[in-house]
Amino acid sequence: MATTTPRNKTFKSPTKTPTANNIYRKSYQSPSLTPQTPQTITPLRRSARHVSRRIDLGNDPIDVLEIESKEEMNLIRKRERAPPRKQSVDDVSEKSKKPQSLKTPTKKTKLDSEVSFSPVSPNRTEKRKNKSEEVKKTKTKTKTKKRVYYNRVEFDETEFEIGDDVYVKRREDANSDEEDPEIEDCKICFKSGGSDVMLECDDCLGGFHLKCLKPPLKDVPEGDWICQFCEVNKSGGGQSQTLVVPKPPEGKKLARTMREKLLSSDLWAARIEKLWKEVGDGVYWIRVRWYMIPEETVSGRQPHNLKRELYLTNDFADIEMDCVLRHCFVKCPKEFSKASNDGDDVFLCEYEYDVHWHSFKRLAELVDGDSDSDQEWNGRKEEEEIDDSDEEVEVEEDEESVVRGDSKGKRGLTSVKGGANSRKGRFFGLEKVGAKQIPEHVRCHKQTELEKAKATLLLATRPKSLPCRNREMEEITAFIKGSISDDQCLGRCMYIHGVPGTGKTISVLSVMKNLKAEVEAGNVNPYCFVEINGLKLASPENIYSVIYEALSGHRVGWKKALHSLNERFAEGKKIGKEDDKPCILLIDELDLLVTRNQSVLYNILDWPTKPNSKLIVLGIANTMDLPEKLLPRISSRMGIQRLCFGPYNHTQLQEIISTRLNGIDAFEKTAIEFASRKVAAISGDARRALEICRRAAEVADHRLKTNKTAKSQLVIMGDVEAAIQEMFQAPHIQVMKSVSKLSKIFLTAMVHELYKTGMAETTFDRVATTVSSICLTNGEAFPGWDILLKIGCDLGECRIILCEPGEKHRLQKLQLNFPSDDVAFALKENKDLPWLANYL
Amino acid sequence: MPAIAGPSSSPQKHVVGSRLEVTGGLRSAEVNTCRKRKLRSDSAAEVSSSTPVNSISTPMKWKSPRRCAVSIPKTADEEIKEDSNGNLASPVISAVKNLSVCLDVESKWNPRDEEQMKAVKEALHVSKAPSTVVCREDEQRRVSEFVKSCMEQNKAGSLYICGCPGTGKSLSMEKVRQQADDWAKQAGLPCSETVSVNCTSLTKTTDIFSKILGKNESGSKANGSSSPLQQLQSLFSQKQQQSSSKMMLIIADEMDYLITRDRGVLHELFMLTTLPFSRCILIGVANAIDLADRFLPKLKSLNCKPLVVTFRAYSKEQILRILQERLVALPYVAFQSNALEICARKVSAASGDMRKALCVCRSALEILEIEARGSIDQEPQGPVPECQVVKMDHMLAALSKTFKSPVVDTIQSLPQHQQIIVCSAAKAFRGSKKDRTIAELNKLYLEICKSSTITPAGITEFTNMCTVLNDQGILKLSQARDEKLRRVSLRVDEADITFALKEIRFFRNCLL
Repeated sequence: MATTTPRNKTFKSPTKTPTANNIYRKSYQSPSLTPQTPQTITPLRRSARHVSRRIDLGNDPIDVLEIESKEEMNLIRKRERAPPRKQSVDDVSEKSKKPQSLKTPTKKTKLDSEVSFSPVSPNRTEKRKNKSEEVKKTKTKTKTKKRVYYNRVEFDETEFEIGDDVYVKRREDANSDEEDPEIEDCKICFKSGGSDVMLECDDCLGGFHLKCLKPPLKDVPEGDWICQFCEVNKSGGGQSQTLVVPKPPEGKKLARTMREKLLSSDLWAARIEKLWKEVGDGVYWIRVRWYMIPEETVSGRQPHNLKRELYLTNDFADIEMDCVLRHCFVKCPKEFSKASNDGDDVFLCEYEYDVHWHSFKRLAELVDGDSDSDQEWNGRKEEEEIDDSDEEVEVEEDEESVVRGDSKGKRGLTSVKGGANSRKGRFFGLEKVGAKQIPEHVRCHKQTELEKAKATLLLATRPKSLPCRNREMEEITAFIKGSISDDQCLGRCMYIHGVPGTGKTISVLSVMKNLKAEVEAGNVNPYCFVEINGLKLASPENIYSVIYEALSGHRVGWKKALHSLNERFAEGKKIGKEDDKPCILLIDELDLLVTRNQSVLYNILDWPTKPNSKLIVLGIANTMDLPEKLLPRISSRMGIQRLCFGPYNHTQLQEIISTRLNGIDAFEKTAIEFASRKVAAISGDARRALEICRRAAEVADHRLKTNKTAKSQLVIMGDVEAAIQEMFQAPHIQVMKSVSKLSKIFLTAMVHELYKTGMAETTFDRVATTVSSICLTNGEAFPGWDILLKIGCDLGECRIILCEPGEKHRLQKLQLNFPSDDVAFALKENKDLPWLANYL
Repeated sequence: MPAIAGPSSSPQKHVVGSRLEVTGGLRSAEVNTCRKRKLRSDSAAEVSSSTPVNSISTPMKWKSPRRCAVSIPKTADEEIKEDSNGNLASPVISAVKNLSVCLDVESKWNPRDEEQMKAVKEALHVSKAPSTVVCREDEQRRVSEFVKSCMEQNKAGSLYICGCPGTGKSLSMEKVRQQADDWAKQAGLPCSETVSVNCTSLTKTTDIFSKILGKNESGSKANGSSSPLQQLQSLFSQKQQQSSSKMMLIIADEMDYLITRDRGVLHELFMLTTLPFSRCILIGVANAIDLADRFLPKLKSLNCKPLVVTFRAYSKEQILRILQERLVALPYVAFQSNALEICARKVSAASGDMRKALCVCRSALEILEIEARGSIDQEPQGPVPECQVVKMDHMLAALSKTFKSPVVDTIQSLPQHQQIIVCSAAKAFRGSKKDRTIAELNKLYLEICKSSTITPAGITEFTNMCTVLNDQGILKLSQARDEKLRRVSLRVDEADITFALKEIRFFRNCLL
């Protein structure tokens, strides 16, 4: 507190010079709000602050201005550090004062609450002129409303406007913010002082004095510049010259700049959406929209992310004004490329990130097409706005300032108290959507063996190892390794086929996982892997844009993507910096890419035959003879590399199930064998075998729960049998078993008619006659023709019988949809109508 | 390439070539002295990749003097004799001679040496375009003569090239393009502009016109009022100033992708060459032999039917020669000559597809590699076995992997119920009947199951199994509205089924 008052005084001194005031009035829309004008004239607000401090130190203000301009001249095209300033005592004091500093504006506003919005208002008379109307408004409204909204607020000597980007303090570790150097130290001499120009490394973002470099540079170099340390790191560091990164001198603590803190998620950045003051306690609040660093998104930092890249989220929060540290500058790519020397607090934001759906969207949609995703996005936004609108009932737009009423008062304020944003700071890359961790105490009861078995037999659980596919996996590994190991990666293609449920995709994926581990160990050159499922594409042509997005990170329409992919693979032009890597393309369900003229497949399979394409294509499909079905020119390009995944036999299925159940004693050996033999005889589909076992475990669980006397807790043959019955038995028999009594009689009559005449087709008329005679002989009441007709129609709806369209009524033709044996089987053992068996 | 460009080439070019050879010789000498052979092949690859234009002379740089002596007469031979027969015979002999020479001189080929293996694989890869397209001299000459005559007379023309996949069409066109450029430079004609388009990469068929136009006048403003086709038509139907008197060579690869329902695009494209002041030479490449006749009957009446050049499928000798040509550049011998010959024979008998032959050679090489690695594992310190080259048996293994019919194996590995279905299908189609519905087949299946007391699968399961068999290429299911009315026919020979199921006792009496 003590420090602020004198400073305010010193600030006023330059403003009092009338000439200066005039200049500033021109540069600002509302001159009354700019008391510390000498600072704001410079493009950098940050550097402007230095001036203020120098004033504190007793320098002549005019001199400072001159120095300032000189230093401005130093800023060259490269992005550099702004000229360093002296670390003043003031710096520390300012930080320590911050938490309390909100009192300053409150007091002021209390004093001249009817007069102005801005906390510091040296030039009262002017303000009156400009905003006399508005003041009246405030006067009238503040009596009833609880919040006063502003367009621009001056807080702690800095001016904040709606749409500004700011650093926000994290509440939890506020202690770490003790010191805040705005200029980072040189990485070599560890001094931030000196009037030397600092150069930024494009890789590690570290700052270097020009004179500290070896050899020292005179000018800032054109183009990208990478510091010597990064260069050594990049070239592998295996050479004789290993540069030791200089250690800071003893006792000097390495101070991190705000930018470093932000990028290591110790600070947050946000955009101001609204500014208001709570009239009750006079606290200033802002509603902010958070920025996220790439590490906090669900996909983590991607290779195409720039060092200074941020994502704009759709996550809002109301925070107190004193959480705000200072301005930063988040720019769109165009501006970012121009802003080469705007200091350290410049960031790039190209995409918006949806925190709920974990999706990305380009901020300014430059590319045509692809509007369907946008709609979804907008729809969500509207919801968001609706949520907001119940908070603020009255919305009144004004050019200068917005005054809004809040009917519900301080709702939502309490929720913010703890942390500014509950979602911030969590690393989303580690968890998947929807897979929320259930706290341990919820599932405190011990899992039984059967429950464990059920869990491991789920199709969704990934097995730890893949038995019975070693040969195939070795072949795939050899194929991929043989292609990518040499520097001159020769493009190739492999076609993998096999019936469903034989582990095609999972084998390839586990091979890729192993390879990834080898890449990390350094045995294999890095590559990029693109996985595409043909079923998930909206149209076959979309595959181009999917591939392009995976390779470059940009989403474009398929025509443009095809063009750029052609350039990359066929003509050898480079899209981005990652292009020297070989690319492995896995296309699942390849047969869905077959278009009428098959051009999609042709293009994809033609690329590997081009020199320098470095493309390896792995195609997976069910059909064995897909290459033969394709045009000869395509099968010629597909090559001869084929790999067949045959159906599993019963020993293999047995092994698969028992490896999954390893360590869980829940199944009898014979039960597993029975299930696997049954499946192997019909399809050899591992998925089905697992499903049967899982179902059998459920049946056993149910059986054991109802019948507590059972001795063994294992799944027995009977359970498997029941599960197989459920799975393999056709549903129509169950339907026939459960239809009404009359329908059963009707079906019996049809079968009887079939036996009598030997004709598959019969008419309703004849069936009705048979039904009536059957009813008569067995003492049932004949229901009448119309009800019988209705029953016939119902059975036709179930597709148990096939009937002609119903206009003909009595003459319509009927036919059993299933073999008569099935009907006989279903109806023979019937308790209600035991006499039915006589007719079957 | 020297065969065609040689006689007309200016002395200046010879000088350039010789100078290059001198430097190349120097380099190879250096390499020889200080490094081992491994690096020699490297440097050669580097040189040839960095100077693609001069690639004719580069392969000779590091050859032993003896081989140079062999290969120089060969090129001379080609220059003098243009007769295809003589052309064919002599180089084959020389190449074989080459091989035998190599066998004597350098048999230090070692399949365990990764560098060598890499070089061989690269030489056999489809993406590596050989410096000269052997065995296609005749066709290439015809095409380039056509282009030359068109350029000399400054008139438009069209040419259609057809041939099976993998017969070197696109590769030859690439060479023709280069030759045309070279030739135009030497003859002092204005250099022609070349547009080569692969029609599969067009997003719309009409895009080809905008591509041609884009090349034609990149500088001038594109007016949005008229379509690219109209602009082209107006361009070619008016007399031009001398500035735009350049000829334009349009090479449209995979031309049949331009066929639309009304054949408009293809037709308009060919019609461009008939316009009065047209300057485009159109070369269309596709597989179908009669594309022009079938789809462009109107052109015949206008008397501007394109000339047709057919690329025949490679014969056995040609495949052998191309393979040898690719391998002769390497300083060691990796393939036995009779192994290459059996590959050539098999492939030429099957399809004559060069890509396939290269793939087979590569997979044979991989078989050898695995074998060599296995022997290392067994006896790490053992002596190197004599002459580990790709022999007949390796090649046969690779060929059988490629060309073997998998039907018998597939049937034998089917699940039992599917085998029963196949068996019942074989019985059902024994007579004159060619196809039946699923329901009928199901009946037969149930009969067999009953007779051998196996519980049959339900009808839904049965249709599932039929689709799986359809995927495997054993049955063929046609589409129908009702599942049970889909018609089934057999796609493999009944004899195959009988043979495959003979060994299983269960089926022996079923099939009778």
